[in-house]
Amino acid sequence: MIRKNRPLREPFGVFCLVIAVGATLTLLAVVLFMLRESLPVWQAYGLSAIIAGTDWSPLTDPPRIGLAPMICSTLWVALGALVLSVPLGFCGAIFLAEFAPAGLAAILRPVLHILTGIPSVVYGFLGAAVLVKFFEVTFDLASGESLFCASLVLTVMVLPYIVVTGEAALRAVPPEYRQAALALGVSKQYMTIKVLLPLAKKGLLGAFILAFGRATGETMAVLMLAGNTLILPSSWFSRGEPLSALIALELGTASAGSTHYQALFAAGLVLLVFVLSINLLLHFSGNHTGVRRREG
Amino acid sequence: MNWRHGQDRLWLAAFWGAGLLILLILGSILSCLLIKGGPALSLDFLTTGPKGTPLGISGGILPCLKGTISLMAIALTAAAFPGIVTAVYLVEFGEHSRLKNIINLTVQCMAGIPSIVTGLFGYALFVVYSGFGISLLAGGLSLGIMVFPVIVVTARDALLGVNPLYRLTGLSLGVSRRYLLVRVILPQALPGILSGLLLAAGYAAGATAPIMVTAAAISAGSSGNLFTPVMALPYHLYILFSQHISLENAYGTALVLVLLLLLLNTTALWLRRIKEKGA
Repeated sequence: MIRKNRPLREPFGVFCLVIAVGATLTLLAVVLFMLRESLPVWQAYGLSAIIAGTDWSPLTDPPRIGLAPMICSTLWVALGALVLSVPLGFCGAIFLAEFAPAGLAAILRPVLHILTGIPSVVYGFLGAAVLVKFFEVTFDLASGESLFCASLVLTVMVLPYIVVTGEAALRAVPPEYRQAALALGVSKQYMTIKVLLPLAKKGLLGAFILAFGRATGETMAVLMLAGNTLILPSSWFSRGEPLSALIALELGTASAGSTHYQALFAAGLVLLVFVLSINLLLHFSGNHTGVRRREG
Repeated sequence: MNWRHGQDRLWLAAFWGAGLLILLILGSILSCLLIKGGPALSLDFLTTGPKGTPLGISGGILPCLKGTISLMAIALTAAAFPGIVTAVYLVEFGEHSRLKNIINLTVQCMAGIPSIVTGLFGYALFVVYSGFGISLLAGGLSLGIMVFPVIVVTARDALLGVNPLYRLTGLSLGVSRRYLLVRVILPQALPGILSGLLLAAGYAAGATAPIMVTAAAISAGSSGNLFTPVMALPYHLYILFSQHISLENAYGTALVLVLLLLLLNTTALWLRRIKEKGA
């Protein structure tokens, strides 16, 4: 009702609009830059050769720039982290939303908040200093770094996001459902699993996608833990080098404009397209939840 | 009946187990940092530069602390104004237009861009095309792009949280939108906006990937020159550990970084609390 008096007639409104649009164009600029800088290699090698190629030696003549090992590593690490963190995170979200005594919840929530604030390089460092050491000593390995290690640390990193988003999704279920279910005499656990979970499905899916996006784009932790070996990973326990680690390690040595440099931007573009499509998926699934909840 | 009871008990155990396991993991991370990093921490550690060969094997982290703070300051200077103005547009002038939806979606997408891709963009735009080279300025601006969506989202929520009665009253008195915004709404939303800026500062201080490719150096003086590389806490930590220079100092650096971020984040939370109490 307030909004109807055409604010854009005011110069101040126009000023705000211009700044907002200008700032928003930076996103477009990021995508365009990735495209522009990597265009020559896409033209020279073709999409399928880069995505599916398994050789990465951009400095030889002719340069070979297959990204398949890194794409595989990225997927292994991210999916592995989700396999570990989603069951734990959802159970933790249910615990916080339904079962935790008020005192324990009052400790757990701020601690989760603190954990989202710890930078990834600290997680990577702790993982490498403690976890990798542990693997080396326990299993008598020459080097304990592996995709599995990176997944473990990523699990801890995305857990707070899953728990917090999952709890919000569970709390958004209208209390009438709880009351109706409990009035019918079912146990609280039964009510949670058969009534609340299906109702909060979309919100939980949102938490899942958010965590996947985080895990895919993560750089420092995987850089320090995945082992940085340019081979096609054969299992979860082999070493690998995800896309983000490749870029971070090699950008400093690639001279601007060379094939190496362009190939790294191609890697950045692949990562960006991947993460952006995950985000758009989240956005549109989030929209549906909003509509459904208002109807309910 | 028994089967159902058994199942119930199993689920209860799973939920409690998950909750306690999460608490245990979090607790052990924080205590590990405190126990191992504590001994390295001293006033000397904070007020001297790294020494020895290879650099960092002894001595402190003063230049890294300075570098991180300058990077943070540049990022905030670059991103705060456009971020807050964008939020003002979204809340006050956006109406229910399509453009508002597009900007909202874009900001959400920007928040999801991996930090290394932001770094890659910063490298191409600032280091190569603008000719800044690997420098404090290039790193600060890249971090500014990274924290921009955080500022927009928190400022937007702070503005949306202002009691709508203020707006109605102001408009019914015939005050212009600009006056209403500057004199009434912004002061009300100020704690929320400041809290968002602090969160953004913490995010910038901890980011490693973008500065690794645009700004950071293993060793640099703390001259404050915008066009020279700088040392920064997160990158220093990475180097200390990955080059096997000093595990003890690495723990100390990690602890300092985490304490700095804790300080920023708890201040942000505290500001938000104040506002909730006032409203």
